[in-house]
Amino acid sequence: MRNLIAKLALAAAVLGSGLGTAAAETANIWVRADGSNFMPRIVDAYNKGHTNQVKLDIIPNAEIIPKYGAAAAGGTAPDALSLDLIYTPSFAAAGQLEDITDWAKSLPYFASLSPAHVKTGTYKDHIYGLPFSADASVLIWNKKLFKQAGLDPEKGPANWAEIAADAEKVNALGGNIKGFYFSGNCGGCNIFTFTPLIWASGGDILSEDGSKATLDSPQLRGAIDLYRSMVKKDLVPAGAQTDTGANFFAAFAAGNIGISPSGAFAIGALNTQYPDIDYGVTFLPGKDSGWSSFAGGDNFVVTKGTTKLPVVKEFLDFAYSLEGQTILAKYGSLPVRGDIAKDALKDLDPRYQIAAEAMAKGRTPYSVVFNDLINSANGPWTQMINEVFFGDDVDGAIANAQETMQSIIDQAPQK
Amino acid sequence: MTSIAATTAPPRARKVAGRRQWIGLLYVAPAVALVVVFFLIPLGMTAWMSLHNWPLMGEHFYIGLGNYVAILRDTRFWNALRFTAYYTVIVTIAIFVVAFPLALFVERPRPLTNLYRTMFFMPAVVGFASASLLWSWLLNVDSGLFSPAAYDLGLIDRKFNLLATFQPAFWSIIAMVVWKVAGFTMIILMAGLQSIPQDLQEAAVIDGAGPFARFRAITLPLMRRTLALALILSVAGSILAFDQFYIILRGGPRNQTLTAVYWIFNQSFVSFKLGYGAALSMVLLVVLVALSLVQLWLLRKPEGLD
Repeated sequence: MRNLIAKLALAAAVLGSGLGTAAAETANIWVRADGSNFMPRIVDAYNKGHTNQVKLDIIPNAEIIPKYGAAAAGGTAPDALSLDLIYTPSFAAAGQLEDITDWAKSLPYFASLSPAHVKTGTYKDHIYGLPFSADASVLIWNKKLFKQAGLDPEKGPANWAEIAADAEKVNALGGNIKGFYFSGNCGGCNIFTFTPLIWASGGDILSEDGSKATLDSPQLRGAIDLYRSMVKKDLVPAGAQTDTGANFFAAFAAGNIGISPSGAFAIGALNTQYPDIDYGVTFLPGKDSGWSSFAGGDNFVVTKGTTKLPVVKEFLDFAYSLEGQTILAKYGSLPVRGDIAKDALKDLDPRYQIAAEAMAKGRTPYSVVFNDLINSANGPWTQMINEVFFGDDVDGAIANAQETMQSIIDQAPQK
Repeated sequence: MTSIAATTAPPRARKVAGRRQWIGLLYVAPAVALVVVFFLIPLGMTAWMSLHNWPLMGEHFYIGLGNYVAILRDTRFWNALRFTAYYTVIVTIAIFVVAFPLALFVERPRPLTNLYRTMFFMPAVVGFASASLLWSWLLNVDSGLFSPAAYDLGLIDRKFNLLATFQPAFWSIIAMVVWKVAGFTMIILMAGLQSIPQDLQEAAVIDGAGPFARFRAITLPLMRRTLALALILSVAGSILAFDQFYIILRGGPRNQTLTAVYWIFNQSFVSFKLGYGAALSMVLLVVLVALSLVQLWLLRKPEGLD
């Protein structure tokens, strides 16, 4: 009987008919294209085992925010969406999200959910977003090229001097082989992979609550010097200067780059699409020692006033189960529940363990104007990284970015 | 002619004329409806939004002229407008410098004229976005055409990233726009050239006028209206430039190629300030209308000339 109802509900969902059955409800959920690998699988698994159903739409990364805003204004917003976690504060500040504090705190495993996600999901002591998918930044190196260059292929660089030295040795192989790669005109890529170098050395670019820009630090300047010196020695392909992120992953995957900062997503992508590349994964190191990571990924948020709250909660609870976390891990996201992360990852590539460890200690800057400050292709952060890595006036670029960032923060709507 | 008929005609005929006018209005009604629905109403809504603090999400509220006051202090918008003006001047000159000789070349029938006309016009039928994507690949330093080809031919000893600094990036865009637009301007100018009566030129030749004198005293004055059309189309199109700078350069290198429309797009869909974006659009509209009026006035028919 239960099976029959489920089938009926499925049929109703498939036909998109407004009739439905009284017993089952269908919630609409959106995800950005980054989640197009794992999200359909987890939705399928949920739909198979539950009376209630979830209907999934996948939206291109760059369009999900304007599209959601337009849909919300027109009253056709999805019941919930998996949202790039850095947007959670600004969405919450706009009064667009349902307050889920009580429900979140009633979850028995609440304390073991990814702390960086929960921090960005919290606005003025209320919780509006909970972790859904996760990605940590790591350093990857090409073992084959390391071997050719006479380096130990099993040992990745553990501080900045080693990064520069190893990149130079690999670069010396010549031909089209280059030592190092980064996307030099991509704000999002560099907040993900460059700031951990600063954090690991004890600096930061924003104050804890996001109210002050703190760019001008010896740690930032040190990390800039590392990149500049590699650019100057020609260890980096010329295209890096204008790469807005299109080659963030592709450059390393082509097999002629020695070292590249990247993300946990690269492990799954390399294993499935480029099985010939033999690579190692390590932490993004500090100047002399230590390491850090950017905790990225998606928060799950609920549109204010939705009538499908029970379905959404049931779905999220399923995603947090061992079954759900295992599906996530298998298809390209790190687990977001610390207490069962090891179980979810146990049958997978051991390199994920490094990424999971990085995730657990990962950090995320908190700001209601993150997009304006960091991700925008024309924002102060993107402009600064391009100028300081390739330009002539490092001091001017830092001072200019510091001033612009602070003025954007100060002009943000205060509520 | 019709006005004379109307004033001197008997009442019955006047009635018929009145009915004709109504039928005439009926005929243009669909066009009027289109203009109202797709131009006047959106324009009114834009003006209305520009008076509000209107975020993409959340409540919007009336702030009077607050957005316009903010524009006065928005130096990055004025910088974008200045760059747009600079780009418009350069690209318009470049287009005419290329299109005018082409028009003179393809105007007269000669062997293969149709082939040349088609060839020169072809890029004009490509959309700006697709053309930008094509050139974005051509200009790519690692996998494109220009830089790798020059490197492989031994012309340069190190691959040169055309998009990394302002001058090469800017002139690459100019080259791309001229390639795409010159053919269209050429067709307009060619039509103007062909409308000049041949006997005028012949009379001038008999009077002993050289080619340059004929061009200056006959061709240019008689092409006044054609030039006005081509100029206004080119200027208006350049002031609204966006696709090529967004797709090929992302406003870079270092935000030096942000155009006015690009800034409006950023404010509206990156910073989510729809009301402010609407106010910027209204300012740009005023600038554009003013410029078009000035051009029409400059190229007006001088008195006494037919």
